[in-house]
Amino acid sequence: MSVATKSRETPVQNRGATRSKRITFALMTLPGLLLYSAFFIFPVLMGIYYGMTDWNGITRKFNFIGLANYARIFQDDRFLRALLFNLRYCIMLTVCIVALGIALALLLNSKIKGITAYRAMYFVPAVLSGITVGLIFNQILYRAIPPIGQALGIEFLSKNILSDPKLAVYGILFVNVWQGVAMPTLLFLAGLQSIPADLYEAASLDGANILQQFWYITLPFLVPVLTVVMVLTVKGGLMIFDYIKALTDGGPGGVTESVSLLIYSNAFSENKYSYAIAEAIIVGIIIALISAVQISISNKKKVD
Amino acid sequence: MNHSKSSAVLRHILLLIGVGFIILPLYMTIITAFKTPAENMASFFAFPQSFNLENFKGVLEGGGYFRAFFNTVYITALVILGNMAIMPAMSYAISRSMDTSRIYRIVYYFLLLGIFIPFEVKMMPLVKLMSWLHLLHPTGLVILCISSSTCEAVFLYVGFLYSIPKEMEEAAYIDGATTLQTYTKVVFPLLKPMMATVLIRNGLWIWNDFMLPLVTLNRSDKFWTLTLFQYNFRTEYSVDYSRTFAAFCMSMLPILVFYVFMQKNIIGGLTSGAVKS
Repeated sequence: MSVATKSRETPVQNRGATRSKRITFALMTLPGLLLYSAFFIFPVLMGIYYGMTDWNGITRKFNFIGLANYARIFQDDRFLRALLFNLRYCIMLTVCIVALGIALALLLNSKIKGITAYRAMYFVPAVLSGITVGLIFNQILYRAIPPIGQALGIEFLSKNILSDPKLAVYGILFVNVWQGVAMPTLLFLAGLQSIPADLYEAASLDGANILQQFWYITLPFLVPVLTVVMVLTVKGGLMIFDYIKALTDGGPGGVTESVSLLIYSNAFSENKYSYAIAEAIIVGIIIALISAVQISISNKKKVD
Repeated sequence: MNHSKSSAVLRHILLLIGVGFIILPLYMTIITAFKTPAENMASFFAFPQSFNLENFKGVLEGGGYFRAFFNTVYITALVILGNMAIMPAMSYAISRSMDTSRIYRIVYYFLLLGIFIPFEVKMMPLVKLMSWLHLLHPTGLVILCISSSTCEAVFLYVGFLYSIPKEMEEAAYIDGATTLQTYTKVVFPLLKPMMATVLIRNGLWIWNDFMLPLVTLNRSDKFWTLTLFQYNFRTEYSVDYSRTFAAFCMSMLPILVFYVFMQKNIIGGLTSGAVKS
């Protein structure tokens, strides 16, 4: 995005026109700006304030306690475990989605019969809601997979993997990728279609093999899309809620409790309102930092 | 020649495996919904002996499904209309003033700030705020969703407005058109490709959203959206999973039908604006 381009003044602008233009522009901006300030920024400010109190969300009286909530959070094993779960999960999710997304986009970019039907089919999961997909897979993993696993003699599939503390996370990951890979695949596909075909012809005339072509032609063209996908997937992984709520609800024994789930239960069922807000703010800062780093890295790549 | 033919076969095979992964869960959902509880106990995989409609009747009973469907349509449609009315106009004013006015530059970065703020930070204060204002109902959710969609919409529209030539609007100004006329007659139509991207992204998000309705609308079944309807249905009928699967089917049906008919527009619209910048 270029912000630097200077707008050219139109030659026949007199003072009156400029003034009415300014008023129109102000009126066009105000409604959106007011809504955003009242229902987006104001709650955030409220949150920052409540995060420094000991309010439980119900009583009328509460005290201002400064940063005490934050100090407690960093010694809270439950929070740290949830955060660690999210970071680990986030890395696995990003690797799976980027790798599978590029692979599927390459396949869907081939010129074979019925390719438009394949493309339409592969996008279907993206139009469904995460909670529907989660609830369906919850039942399938519970009722359908164990009999298959037993019949085939595959041990880790013979019981419900969502109730196994070690395997539950992979169940969640599978469901998340099943649905979450559709949109990135579409974006990667659009990126692939923007590559001029004669580049590949020239490269293969020069004797570059398929891998070299992928590395030196395909990947550089995918960098802008890759940035968008990475930022969105990392944010999704750090904020995952729907799938876990539907699949394990944090279980078994809390091993799949994500930060969002922890915040939700702290705030709405454990009456630790201000504490939950402080947790949310810490997660917010972490997400903002990671996104900022990702965007600055990709901007550097674009300049090169 | 031979080489490319075998590679095409290989591609078909790989793609078909993927299609299997996508279809199978949906197929199982559908057949389970058509079976009686007894059939389902006997086997999860067997094809239904007769297309039993009892489960679907159970879902439709009491009108909860239709209410949830209309709530979801109402919310999604109003958010899309509101977004269309507010965001392009605001982005136009910002993009054409930002170079000369510091205030608009500040407004622009203020509006983008939200991209970095995850939903959880404002989730709980938002519930408080909405209950103070007596807005814990679908119309209140509409206002929330429009506000929440500001950052992404402004970011995409302003970027797009910078990339389109300004000659046409300048010509309109020279011909004596007012700013508002220029916007509605010249700029707004030019924004169509990006509008498709923004509105489809928004529409899919709002139609399928779970967390915002969960924290603002769950208190009364009059307000439930389709996602809340099936979530609560699952909790209520956890034993009778034939009926639960019928509820899943019915919840997916509207968006799948819509997708089948609008498939080209949805996929084209999502990429038309996205790839440009």
